[in-house]
Amino acid sequence: MIADDAGLIGAIREVFESVDPMPADLPERIRFAIALRDLDAELARFASESDEAAIAVRGMEESRTITFDSDSLTIMIRIDGNADGTVRVDGWLAPAQAGRVEMRRVDNSIAVTADEAGRFAFLSVPRGTARLIVGLLGEGSNGRPNGEKSVITPALILLAAE
Amino acid sequence: MIMVDNGVTVPGRVSEDDRRARIAGLVSAARDGHPEAVSELVSELTPVLWQVARATGLGAADAEDVIQTVWMSLLSHLEGIRTPAALTAWLVITTRREAWRVKKADRKQSPADQEWLIAVPDPRPGSEESVITADEYRQLWAAFLTLPQRCQELLRIVAFVPRPDYDEVAATLHMPRGSVGPTRGRCLDKLRTALGPEEGIR
Repeated sequence: MIADDAGLIGAIREVFESVDPMPADLPERIRFAIALRDLDAELARFASESDEAAIAVRGMEESRTITFDSDSLTIMIRIDGNADGTVRVDGWLAPAQAGRVEMRRVDNSIAVTADEAGRFAFLSVPRGTARLIVGLLGEGSNGRPNGEKSVITPALILLAAE
Repeated sequence: MIMVDNGVTVPGRVSEDDRRARIAGLVSAARDGHPEAVSELVSELTPVLWQVARATGLGAADAEDVIQTVWMSLLSHLEGIRTPAALTAWLVITTRREAWRVKKADRKQSPADQEWLIAVPDPRPGSEESVITADEYRQLWAAFLTLPQRCQELLRIVAFVPRPDYDEVAATLHMPRGSVGPTRGRCLDKLRTALGPEEGIR
C-alpha cells in the first residue's frame, strides 16, 4: 500500500526502471568518450561489416581475425581462447612499425609493445569489453617524428571459451 | 534508491547522507582533475539523466548522444559547481534543455523509439524489494499514461532526482511555458484521481 507522495514517487521510479531502463553499457561508453577527450586519437573502423557483426568474439571455437582500418594504420587482431578461460589476442600493425598498444577496459588497462614488424600480443586477458589504443612513435611522411599519434578501435567484446 | 515514507532507506542501500558525502567528495576530486572521480559520477548519475532525456520523448539513440554531450560539457563547467545538489541540478537541467532542443530539431521520431509507452510493465524479479504489488504496478502505469504530457515528464524526473537535490531543480521544472506550469503536488493529485479511490494505491 502506498499512502503518501514519497511512496507514490518511489513506485513511479520502479515502473520506469522496468519499462525504460538505461542501456547498461551507456556509462561505460560515456567514460570512454571522456577518457579520449584529450587524446588526439584517430578512430579506426571495422574493415568489413562481417567483422562488425562479430564484435562479440568467442575464443577457442571460433578463432578468428578482425581488421580495423584508420587513415594511417591498419590493425589486425586474432583472438583465441586460453584453456583457463581467458583470451589471447595477437595483433599486427600495417604498415609495420613499432608502437605501444594499450588494451583499455572499463576498470583497468594493459599495455604491450609492438615490435619493429608491428607484431604485438596480449597473452592472457580476462573476458569483457575492451578497446585497443595504438600509440605510434615513428616518423611522419616528412621525416619528422609524429609525436604521440594514437589510433583507437571500436569496443570489442571478448568472450572466453566456455 | 527508494526512500520509504519516513525517510529511512531500504535496508541494504546506502543512506542518503552517505551518498551526499560521497558525491561531494567526488565533485571536489573531479574539480581537482581526478579522472576516477568523474568516472564514478558518470556511474552514479547517468541513470537519472537517461530518464530525464527520455521523459522528453526523445529516441534512445538521440538520448544517448545528448547525455554524452552533457557530460562532456560538464567537464568545462566543473569550476562553478560546489555541491552535490548543484551538480545534479546542472546535469538535469542541461540534459532536459538539450533533449528538448534535439527533439524539436528532429520532429520525426521513429515510433520504435517510443515503444516503452505501450509496454506493459512486468514486476521486476526480486520483488521483495518492491514497494508495490504486481496489480498496483499495472494500475499505476495505466493511470500514469492518462496524465498530461507535462505531468508525465515532471513526475518521471522527480522520481529519479535524489530528494535533497530536488529543490535546486524544481524552480526550472515548474517554470510555466505560456501557461500555468504543473507542480509536483498537482501532478501527483491528478495521478491519484486517475488511480481512483478504490485502487490499491491511495
